[in-house]
Amino acid sequence: MGKRRKVILPPALPPETPDEEFEISDEDVEFFSENRTFTHFLAHFDRKKIDKHVTRVADKSEDEIERLYERRNRNNAPLDSRENDLQVDPVDALPIKTLDGKLQYRTTKKVRSEEGHASTDLTGEEDAEKQGTNLIRLTKAERNKKLKKEKKEAKKLKEDEDIAPNSPKEKIHSEVLKEVEEEISAEESFGVKKIKLAEIGMALLEDPEANIRSLKELLDFCKDKDPQVVKLGLMSMLAVFKDIIPSYRIRELTDKELAMPVSEAVRKTRYFEYTLLRSYKSYLQKLIELQKEAIFKLVVVRCMCTLLEAAPHFNLSEKLLAGTVRNISSSDDVIRKLCCEAIKSLFKNEGKHGGEGTVRAVRLIAQLVKKHHCQLHPDCLEVFLSLRFDEDLGKHENKAEENNKFTKNKKGKQEPMKHLPPSEKKKSKQELIAKTRGEVYADYKAVSFAPDSEKRQRMQSDTLSAVFETYFRILKHAVDASDPRFMPETSGSHAQPLLAPCLEGLGKFSHLIDLDFMADLMSCLKQLSGFRSGTHLQSKTFNVNSSGSDRSSNRLTVSERLQCCIVAFKIMKSNLDALNVDLQDFFVQLYNLLLEYRPYRDRGEVLAEALKTMLWDGRQHDMQRAAAFIKRLATFSLSFGSSEAMAALATLKQLLQKNTKCRSLLENDAGGGSISGLVVKYQPEATDPYLSGALASVLWELSLLSKHYNPSVSQMASNILSMTNLKPTQNIVNPSLIALNPIQAFWESTVQKELLKSMNAKVPPSLKRKRKRDQDMEYYVLDPQKLRNIDSQVIGEEEAKLRFEEHFKVLRDISENERLKGELNRTLASISLYDEFKREKREKERSVVLKSGKKKAKVLVKRSSS
Amino acid sequence: MAKKLGKKARKFARKGLQTVQKQKRKQRTFFKKKSAPRGRGLNGEAPDENEENLNHERNVSQLDQNVGGGHVFDKNIGNLLGEEDEVELEDDFSDSDGYLSEDTECPYISENENENISRDDTARGTFQEENTEIKMQIAKQKKELDKLLAKDKEFAKFLESRRSQLEQYDRMVSDDEEVEGDEEEEEEEEQEEQTRQPVTQTTLDVWCWLVTEDPNSPALRNLLNLYHNASLFGVITSRNEKSAQIVSHEVYSTVINFVLCEADGIFRALLGVAENSNAERILMKLKSSKEWLNVGPLVKSYFKSSIKLLNQVTDTMLLVFLLFRLMSSVVFLHAFSSLGRRLIKILVRFWSTGEDQLSTSAFLLMKEVASQLSSDYFNICMKAMYRTFVARCKFVDDSNLARIDFMKSSFLEITSLDVQQSYLVAVSSLQRLGDVVKHSSTTKKKEDLMKINNWQYINCLNLWVKFICLNYKENNLQQLFDKAVRVIFGVTSLFTGPRFLPLKLKCAQMLNDLSLTSGHFIPVSSLVFECLDLTGVVTGKMDGDEEPRLKLSTLLKVPGNLLKSRRFQEECVRSSVEVLCTHFSQWSFHVSLPELSTIPLILLKRCHEKATVESVRRLIKRFIDQAEQNRDFLQMKRDGVSFSPNDQTSIDNFLLLEKSNVKSSFTQFYASMLQNSQIRNMVK
Repeated sequence: MGKRRKVILPPALPPETPDEEFEISDEDVEFFSENRTFTHFLAHFDRKKIDKHVTRVADKSEDEIERLYERRNRNNAPLDSRENDLQVDPVDALPIKTLDGKLQYRTTKKVRSEEGHASTDLTGEEDAEKQGTNLIRLTKAERNKKLKKEKKEAKKLKEDEDIAPNSPKEKIHSEVLKEVEEEISAEESFGVKKIKLAEIGMALLEDPEANIRSLKELLDFCKDKDPQVVKLGLMSMLAVFKDIIPSYRIRELTDKELAMPVSEAVRKTRYFEYTLLRSYKSYLQKLIELQKEAIFKLVVVRCMCTLLEAAPHFNLSEKLLAGTVRNISSSDDVIRKLCCEAIKSLFKNEGKHGGEGTVRAVRLIAQLVKKHHCQLHPDCLEVFLSLRFDEDLGKHENKAEENNKFTKNKKGKQEPMKHLPPSEKKKSKQELIAKTRGEVYADYKAVSFAPDSEKRQRMQSDTLSAVFETYFRILKHAVDASDPRFMPETSGSHAQPLLAPCLEGLGKFSHLIDLDFMADLMSCLKQLSGFRSGTHLQSKTFNVNSSGSDRSSNRLTVSERLQCCIVAFKIMKSNLDALNVDLQDFFVQLYNLLLEYRPYRDRGEVLAEALKTMLWDGRQHDMQRAAAFIKRLATFSLSFGSSEAMAALATLKQLLQKNTKCRSLLENDAGGGSISGLVVKYQPEATDPYLSGALASVLWELSLLSKHYNPSVSQMASNILSMTNLKPTQNIVNPSLIALNPIQAFWESTVQKELLKSMNAKVPPSLKRKRKRDQDMEYYVLDPQKLRNIDSQVIGEEEAKLRFEEHFKVLRDISENERLKGELNRTLASISLYDEFKREKREKERSVVLKSGKKKAKVLVKRSSS
Repeated sequence: MAKKLGKKARKFARKGLQTVQKQKRKQRTFFKKKSAPRGRGLNGEAPDENEENLNHERNVSQLDQNVGGGHVFDKNIGNLLGEEDEVELEDDFSDSDGYLSEDTECPYISENENENISRDDTARGTFQEENTEIKMQIAKQKKELDKLLAKDKEFAKFLESRRSQLEQYDRMVSDDEEVEGDEEEEEEEEQEEQTRQPVTQTTLDVWCWLVTEDPNSPALRNLLNLYHNASLFGVITSRNEKSAQIVSHEVYSTVINFVLCEADGIFRALLGVAENSNAERILMKLKSSKEWLNVGPLVKSYFKSSIKLLNQVTDTMLLVFLLFRLMSSVVFLHAFSSLGRRLIKILVRFWSTGEDQLSTSAFLLMKEVASQLSSDYFNICMKAMYRTFVARCKFVDDSNLARIDFMKSSFLEITSLDVQQSYLVAVSSLQRLGDVVKHSSTTKKKEDLMKINNWQYINCLNLWVKFICLNYKENNLQQLFDKAVRVIFGVTSLFTGPRFLPLKLKCAQMLNDLSLTSGHFIPVSSLVFECLDLTGVVTGKMDGDEEPRLKLSTLLKVPGNLLKSRRFQEECVRSSVEVLCTHFSQWSFHVSLPELSTIPLILLKRCHEKATVESVRRLIKRFIDQAEQNRDFLQMKRDGVSFSPNDQTSIDNFLLLEKSNVKSSFTQFYASMLQNSQIRNMVK
């Protein structure tokens, strides 16, 4: 199209020049004046036609001319840009008016294309961000590949960009680029860094040996100013380390080894290991350093915990462990949880580190407890519960070894016997073989990761001693604290936060406690369980140590004291043969603690557990004691909720079943104390079960309990009552209920469980539909007399009439008032409208005046002009 | 009356203020949405609710600690209501205009007589002065206007052009409350634009005479129309003077009185129903009969006008009068369900907000409606009442304790009319209450706990507990009983610590009630143990008696500053002793009372030792003495028997004689204790 127009249009366009610029020379004038005929053709010149021809395209309007030029230029533009090695999209071309425009045109072009790159980068970054996070957590090959592809693309684009400034107009470009770069916000640079991180991480994951050097780069990211970048850097390094850390511990090379010439492969590996170790070290240092800063704390702790979980065997794990343990009692729930989980997993996966980590962790925690005087969060002791001790470890291996030895010996004995006849040479050869074998075995042992049983046993005993050291420390501390003379200022129920998990742990590991400690431990527990009973009941003579103040033991909650009893019993049970400790005191404790128990304040499940371990599990009790407990439990269930009652009744039943003689309590023996002990009359307030004289009592409670609102309780009660008729040898009454132990019974009927029971929406058939419809209805709640009075208070017709009249008047007046107000408002408004009216009028007048003035003026003008 | 007048005047004066108008217009858009379909039935309620809201806000600030912000409750209403299916039936008002076609034969006598219908100026009340004042002002302003008009001739024209604008002023004065009803009533009026001359006293007398002589007389229609007019009086007269059929106060009061007093008898006579016959059966019979076709519209008009009148009248005594008059003809409502609904709505409003007498009579009428008419009415009544109760029991203080009590008991009266129907509501409500507890016990979030620790929840729970107690004996409510006990124990399990003692005590009281009616044993004592542990830690000054007594009955959660005060402890111990007292007195003659009292007594003794406040000590000591006396007595008696605990019948018969004999000192002690507590919990 342009070409065609080119043809049409006149080649040059002189008419642009204005007339004034035409300098007519004198000669010309002369010439034309002389030869007039020459100008003759001019006379016949059809100017219009020529004009039409010359400006055929452009003559429509000035605007159109401009547009035409523009178009023409635009068509030329691609050519120019091609010269400059620039891709120019015609769509992006801006209209050009001046020569300058060309330049502008091109540079804008450049910027635009760059921006385009940037935007693609951005989208790439977003992906990278997403995948970067993925990368940190799940390092799936596919994702990585995808990510890598994108990275490559991004790189290519970048390279393109890099090439671009090499174009001829470089100077301008670089200037513009600078500007643009400045314009790129911090966010974008953050994005760039993110990409970089992802790239390095990817490369590292792909080929750790080759790219191990980039770890340093990653480390540099952790020194960035932007905390966000630092966090990302830490996390990426975590991901990388998690992946590339070898499953063995890297050993420092000796000088001798360093001096030895090695193959290329070994050198490479050494280098890799060396670099890895060094950067790991500096990474850990960085972590420890950053840990002090609040913003990084969570990230750092997360990194540490994850590393500890992933590579507890690796070098420097002590540092990790120390860092984790330091935060194990953090007040921040998230951090504490993380640390606890990490330690727990350390305990659970001993295979990863061969138990060394466990020992170290336990020791560290023990130190922590010691350092903080047992004032830590209970969570940090709860981790001990995940410890596992292999009791058979030593025995089993020993046995195996013994067997081995035995067989070996046998063999050894037999073999030499057999092979004795052969020559000395053979013998020496055999010895050699044995020797080498032994060496190989030793080497293997040294190299192989799994420590031998002996070592493991040692470690286990170390762990145990550390654990029990902690436990005993806490107990001791609690005992001291419970004595007001030592720590008078501690108060509140949480003075011993660690006691509960400590007791729990003691209960769990009770079978591992050294017998030597037993006596001390028991006395400790005894003291803690509130041996002095701390009540106001008439203290009986059994109080040996009760010289201290009365309430001192109340520092511990009922649950804790119950736990003490439970622990004592567990210890006792697991060391039944070895120990000869009288647990009577603990029974006394339980007997009295039943009174201290408060639902919802104390943990019901602990009570149930105590009942189970102390009463339900036991084989047979002293008759006095059994009777006392039976009576107390029955009384107890009268005053407390159904779940507690159920637990108590389950225990009671078991007791009755085991102690057949106590069934006499179920019957009201008129004769009385045929079997009653020392105390003839039942003393409900006695603190010592032996002195309560419970055998003389009757379980009247059960009759009331059988009226209990809770069907299971009442059923249980009547069930127990029906035991009266059983012969001493008969036992089972109802197999479904007998199976319940106190803990189950407790959980069976907790409030929450009860609430789950839904109602049947059906209307029971016996409901009354409607009651009498007589005039004189009965009233159920309201006082009928009062209602009748209302009747009489109703005003008579006469008064009603008067009141209605009054009401009418009021209504009338109100309506009158409304009407009047309306009128008043209307008048007022009318008056106020007058102002408006006046104003309008004035304006009108003014406009009239103006108009007339204008008219006058016009007339004057006309006149003057004419 | 004067007070009422004053109130009305004040209200009216408020209307005049522009700011108030603006505000009202704003509010109206809000209320309109809600009440528009109900027509005039709820017109008056909008401002009422407003006031109520204000009251609540005040209460919130007062009780600040006690309640935890309104939002919780609002959310809860929906939850606690058993049903949300408030289906609004189409009002069948549109099908008739409320006027009955009149027989032209009926005489209008006003033309013939020169009765003085000019207004007498007696007892005009406060408006008279205002009106005359306004009149004077109008005269003054008019003069001025006239002056202006005279000054400028064109001004008149200008005013004419602005007429529409001026007329707005008229409307603004009067239309602020009646908007909802307007459309309806204006329609009505357009239809009855026919000749309606003013009725004079004489005409009315003649009509009345005619009607008394012969119920079939056409004058009855005229009378009812006049009654209808009377009911509209004051609403419409202000704007259009069309319905000024009633011009004198005598006519007004006579017609209302006459219709109210005689209508029931006349209708019955027309239908041929005896005064005291079983209404429903006859009504059913009549429903299709010829007479009903004639009488039906009359009755409808009567009710419609009466309902309007109920909305109009503000005087309590008049309302009571009206309600009592309507009571006798409640049977007829059966045919007009939407009217019935409207009436119930008005009644519920009166019941929940009206003065003592009014609310009682509203309740009585409601009961009549619920019992006489079909079960639909019963349902509507019950649900409306429950809903209103739930909405109004968010706050408890001295001022509304009696009201809530009354609402509770009157609701129970209604529900026990038809236990079967209310059972269903009770089941669903209790289920909801239980769900809230269940949810809270799993989440243990503060906001969930707040859903329980508020008066609305507790009042609802208490309401159903009372329902169970009331109907347990005659009906099989075991399921409800079980659920209620579980819910209550669930509630108590959620709150620990002395701060929630009032709540726990309330729960304990409810459990005691349930136990007493059902005869089941419910272990209540553990609920107050916490309270007993608390004694002895008084930190506050031993202040004198001037200090107002702390009322636990109006508290759910004790403010922290009171926790260790002397009076709180006093109240605490007193209330827990009362709870134990009820518990013991229930089982005071049961074989196992000695065991039942063992643990509480041990704790009480400890408490007695610890207590530092003399009054507390004395109280506990007395209780311990009496309980021990009871125990010793029983132990003594028990030693003499030979049956065993498994002999249930003998146990049931144990000390039956003594039980009926209430002379033993401990029984008397329990009784007096309980009486005292009742007196103490009454509103002072």
